[in-house]
Amino acid sequence: MEFDWTEDDARHREQLRDFLAEELPADWETISQHGPGGDAQAAFSRHFCGRMAERGWLTQHWPEEYGGQDASPWRHAVVGEEMWAIGEPRGAQYMNVNWIGPAIMTYGTEAQKAEHLPRISSGDVLWCQGFSEPEAGSDLAALRTQALRVEDDYVINGSKIWTSYCNHADFIILLVRTDPNSRRHRGISVLLVPMDTPGIEVREIPSVVGERYFHEVFFTDVRVPMSTRLGPENEGWEVVGHALQFERVGAARYARAAVTLDRLAEIAQERGLLDDPIVVDRLGEARALCEAARVLTYKVIDLRAKGSPPTADTQLARVLGTRADNAIGVLALEIVGPEALEYGSFADSNFRLAMTAGVAVGATEVQLNLIASRFLGLPRE
Amino acid sequence: MDFDLNQEQSAVLEAVETLLDKHAGAARAVELAAESDYDAGLDDALEQAGYGDIASAMGRLEAVLIIEAVAKRGGVVSAGARLLAAPALSLDAPPGPVALMRTGHSGPVRYAAHARTLLMLDDECARCIELEPGACPAVPSNFGYPMGRVSDEIAAGGRALAPGSGPRLQDAWRLGLAAETVGCMEGALEQTAGYLKERKQFGRAIASFQAVQHRLAECAIQLEASRWLTREAAHGAGSSEAIATAAAFALDAAGHVFAETHQLSGAIGFTREHDLHVWSMRLHALRQELGGVAGHRRAVVDQRWGAGSSQGSGEGGR
Repeated sequence: MEFDWTEDDARHREQLRDFLAEELPADWETISQHGPGGDAQAAFSRHFCGRMAERGWLTQHWPEEYGGQDASPWRHAVVGEEMWAIGEPRGAQYMNVNWIGPAIMTYGTEAQKAEHLPRISSGDVLWCQGFSEPEAGSDLAALRTQALRVEDDYVINGSKIWTSYCNHADFIILLVRTDPNSRRHRGISVLLVPMDTPGIEVREIPSVVGERYFHEVFFTDVRVPMSTRLGPENEGWEVVGHALQFERVGAARYARAAVTLDRLAEIAQERGLLDDPIVVDRLGEARALCEAARVLTYKVIDLRAKGSPPTADTQLARVLGTRADNAIGVLALEIVGPEALEYGSFADSNFRLAMTAGVAVGATEVQLNLIASRFLGLPRE
Repeated sequence: MDFDLNQEQSAVLEAVETLLDKHAGAARAVELAAESDYDAGLDDALEQAGYGDIASAMGRLEAVLIIEAVAKRGGVVSAGARLLAAPALSLDAPPGPVALMRTGHSGPVRYAAHARTLLMLDDECARCIELEPGACPAVPSNFGYPMGRVSDEIAAGGRALAPGSGPRLQDAWRLGLAAETVGCMEGALEQTAGYLKERKQFGRAIASFQAVQHRLAECAIQLEASRWLTREAAHGAGSSEAIATAAAFALDAAGHVFAETHQLSGAIGFTREHDLHVWSMRLHALRQELGGVAGHRRAVVDQRWGAGSSQGSGEGGR
């Protein structure tokens, strides 16, 4: 067992911090108040990811043959932590570099690789993911959006929901049912669809999370060539499962929570609240929770670095990351007090982004089901 | 970073498991508890195998792995004090067993009735007190450990160790507490999950109900996080902050795991014939030391944000 960072990774973290200090504008807090999907942050992400790409940092974990440096999952984790902790200046592009690009490397045709990978690695393309549907949330395999073959094209009809970032996205990675007689996990395919294709309509779903956070995407006779399909027809469930197998641990929520907590401790100290044993207790509890989520996430990264098959460790880490984010979101409201009620204030912005943690990318209850069966070996019936 | 045991660590654990197969286990713990006795046989075996010096010979992490393993098997030996606390004070082969106490503590002390060495935590300096056999009367306790009461006179004695020994003792004690908590939680959770897979009600295994599964899954999350925080804190130059963080998380988790394993086990879980108590009751004993969860959390805040809020961190200071 070994729990130290390598010197190289530790140095890279410092480089990233210096880089962020240089690149983030003075009004970054305002820009980022709506989260990665906000208009200002999406626009900024194109500039920022370009700057990261210039340094070779945006896709350093990609294989050399696709312009990366074969950097280890640990290096990739350092980048993820530093970016998420400061509010994710890569915007939605973290998804491109984390898994959409790698999925195209694994399953894409040469033409798809040539079309998409250079744009992703240069940081000037935005993607969104079209998975959930009104009748297929936690039960994703119930999805109904259809793509039927007409000549050499697919014609897509249906709708996706909760889609973040689609208002800015150039492409959507879309799960569709290509076999109309199929059920559940079979008969599903993945399509890479340009968002400016005629017949796609995006509607915002106003929410308390913030501006432009959720959307519904409607597909009405959207016609795309068969060459947009990623991987084999009707095997899209496996394609996405493989592509996402390590991503399910999610964003480095604990890193952002830990930074927020440091700031809360500062506020508490300024206000003399550190004499209050209840405040001290809550701060200590929250710090332990952030660290617990971090160490379990590192366990997952260790498995990934060793090329081990994914385990339910991912779900353990994910649940705690969610808990840390939620707990510190609430603690911020309590420590900041009524000032937190102003929209866009520090505690408000943090709370809004934290509140979705237990639902986004797979509800906590689904994670607990997986832990029960795969980690504890509990029987189904 | 590497979360796998290395070869030496695997070899040590394998040897310790063999030894525990022979000397420890729930049945042995129950037998000893009936007499409030200490497991001198297991203590001797660990000592003869050289594990008393494991922290200096290999490192604190290896000591933590052994403490976890002993606790998981219900071992009735003062492993945390012997494997971590004594070496932290550079006490080689102190007369054993070793017990730990903090100045101002009132109430029974784990292992004091059998201990030959009592390490006393003052603020800056620790003290080492040698005990005559029978010096501390046994105190009956339901909390899974043999306990003794230390008189004021004994508690005031001994020789002061070097300045700085106090904080070192505190870190080692806290780390040992966290490791022992991990082992006890694991024992309690395995026992409970195993029982619930067998026990049928409403025509099916209790463990197949989702309401039960989620609660066991939550316990597993708490346990695994406690385990890895503790191991990480034990590694290399793991800081006082990392140790306090591990203890804050693990001892809080201990309360949760106690409540859940007992609730899910039902009435049988309260009986002496069912082994859950071997691990579960200890969890609450461990939560009494070094100010309990509140004390560990306060230490986290002090270490991380230099809050200067350490006043009143005694056991009565919650």
